[in-house]
Amino acid sequence: MHVTRRQFLECTAAAVPLRWRLGGPPLPVTARRDKVILDLGVNCSLRESVSGYAAVLGAAALRTDMSSMQPPDVLIVPAVVEIPSRAIQAMIACLDSGGLVILESGAGFASAADFSRHRTLLREALEVHVEPLVDLWSQSGGSAIPYIDFTWPCKVKIRDFSRVVPLTGEAGEIIAQVNGLPAALRRRSDRGTLIVLGSPLGPVLWTGDHEARQWLRVVIEATPGWG
Amino acid sequence: MKKAIGDNMISKEWGFGRGLELIKRAGYDGVELWLGDMPWFQMSTSDTDVRELGRSVESAGLVVSNVSTGLHWGSPLSARDPAVRARAARIVERQIETAALLGTDAVLVVAGLVTEEVPYNEVYQRCVEALKPLGDTAKRAGVRIGCENCNAEQRFLMSPREFWQFLNDVNHPAVGIHLDVGNIHDNGFAEQWIEMLGPRITRIHVKDVLRHRGRCGDQSVYTNLLLGDNNWPAIRAALTKVGYDGWLVAEMEARYRYAPDQQFFDTAQAMDRLITGRL
Repeated sequence: MHVTRRQFLECTAAAVPLRWRLGGPPLPVTARRDKVILDLGVNCSLRESVSGYAAVLGAAALRTDMSSMQPPDVLIVPAVVEIPSRAIQAMIACLDSGGLVILESGAGFASAADFSRHRTLLREALEVHVEPLVDLWSQSGGSAIPYIDFTWPCKVKIRDFSRVVPLTGEAGEIIAQVNGLPAALRRRSDRGTLIVLGSPLGPVLWTGDHEARQWLRVVIEATPGWG
Repeated sequence: MKKAIGDNMISKEWGFGRGLELIKRAGYDGVELWLGDMPWFQMSTSDTDVRELGRSVESAGLVVSNVSTGLHWGSPLSARDPAVRARAARIVERQIETAALLGTDAVLVVAGLVTEEVPYNEVYQRCVEALKPLGDTAKRAGVRIGCENCNAEQRFLMSPREFWQFLNDVNHPAVGIHLDVGNIHDNGFAEQWIEMLGPRITRIHVKDVLRHRGRCGDQSVYTNLLLGDNNWPAIRAALTKVGYDGWLVAEMEARYRYAPDQQFFDTAQAMDRLITGRL
C-alpha cells in the first residue's frame, strides 16, 4: 500500500487524539509499560523474524492490532516491506510517548517494484532514506562472512542476511555497518528513539544467536525513557 | 524386500518406455521416478500425463517405488528468500500429488542445504518449520516424506543422533528418513543409522562408497554395489534387526563406458545378494 505524505500526516495527526482518548495524558516516560512485537501479517515478509523477536520477548508481546492499547515502551515491527497506516500510527504514538521503535526492513528479497515502494514509504513516513539493495555475498566474493558490526549500544558481530538495505543517516546516527555500508541507524525523535535495521535481526534471534539476543536486550535496557 | 532403480539411470536416448523394459528385464520390481530430472516427468507435467507414466510403469510389469527429486538442490526449503522457500514447498507438494497419482506412498526430499551464506542453525529451524505443514499434506494423501541423509553434500544432519533429534523436532508421523547407505562415507556406519532410525525409514537408497577417495578429489567417491567400503553384511543384519522389509532403491552413477545397460543387470544381481543375505 502506498502512503502519500498527505495520508501520512492525516494518520499521525489522528494518533494524538486517539492516545488521549484512550489513556488520558501520556504516561511519564519513566513508567514501565509493555513491549510489543507488531505482527503485520501479510505485510511481514519474514515470518521467522516475528518468531525470533517472540523468542526473546515472549509470545505475550505479540500483537496484530494496537488500536485499543496505549503506546508501548518498546515497539518492534519485524520484516516490513509495505507499512500499513495503522502501523505508522502506532510507531508515531510510541515515539511521541518516549518509547523505542525498532523498525526492521524486510525488503532484502523484495521485487524491484516492492522495494521502490518500501523506499518511498520510509522516506515519506519516517524520513528514513535508504539506498538500493546490496547483495553482500556477491559483493564480498565469498572471501569472508559479511558480519553486521554493531557499535551501539555494545559492540557485537551479528550474522548478515545475504542482502542489506543501506541507510542514510546524519553523523552519529549509524550504529551498524557491513562491508562499509550503513546497516542500522538510531535517531532521536522528540522524546522517543527510532532504530531502523537494514538487515533483519529477527531470523538471527530465531536461530538462538547469542550476540543478537544480547544486542536486543542491551538496546532495550540502554535506551532511556523506560525500564 | 523389493528392489528398484531410478529412472534417472535411463539414458535420454533410450526414452522412458525402453528404459522400463530394461529395468524389468534386469529383474527389478519397481522404478523410482525423479521429478524434474527427466524430460518425461517435470513440474509442468499434467496429472493426465503423470497417470500415463503410471500406466507405462504398470504395463512394463513394474510399480513406482517412490517419487524423488533433485530440484531442492536449486530451491531448498532452507533458503532465506521466502519466494524460493515457497517454490521448494510447492515441489514437495507436487511430489506428494504425483505419488498419490502413481500409487506409491513415499517421496524423497533433500530437506536443507547448509552453505557458507546460510548457516546451519537457520537451515535446521526452517526445515523443521517447513516440514510440519508438508507432513500434514502428506498424511492427507497417504504419503510419507523421507528426508534424505545427504550428509556431506548438504553439510547437514551429519550423524544418526542428529537426524533422530531432527525428526523428533519435526514430530510428524508422515515425516521420516529416506536413508542413503552410500552417503555416510567416513562419518559413521550405515548399519548404526539403520539401528537408530529403523521405524522412521521410508525407503533406502543403495550405492557403495570408496572412503579413501574422500570428498576433496576429482574422482567420485561412489562406486557400484559390493565394490566399495560399505559393510554389507552388517547393513543386512541391521535391516533384519529393525524389521525393514521395504524398498531398496539403487541410486547409481552411470559409469559404464561400454554396454551401459549392463550396469542395470549387475546392480540387480548385487541387490539380490543383499536381499537374500548371500554376502
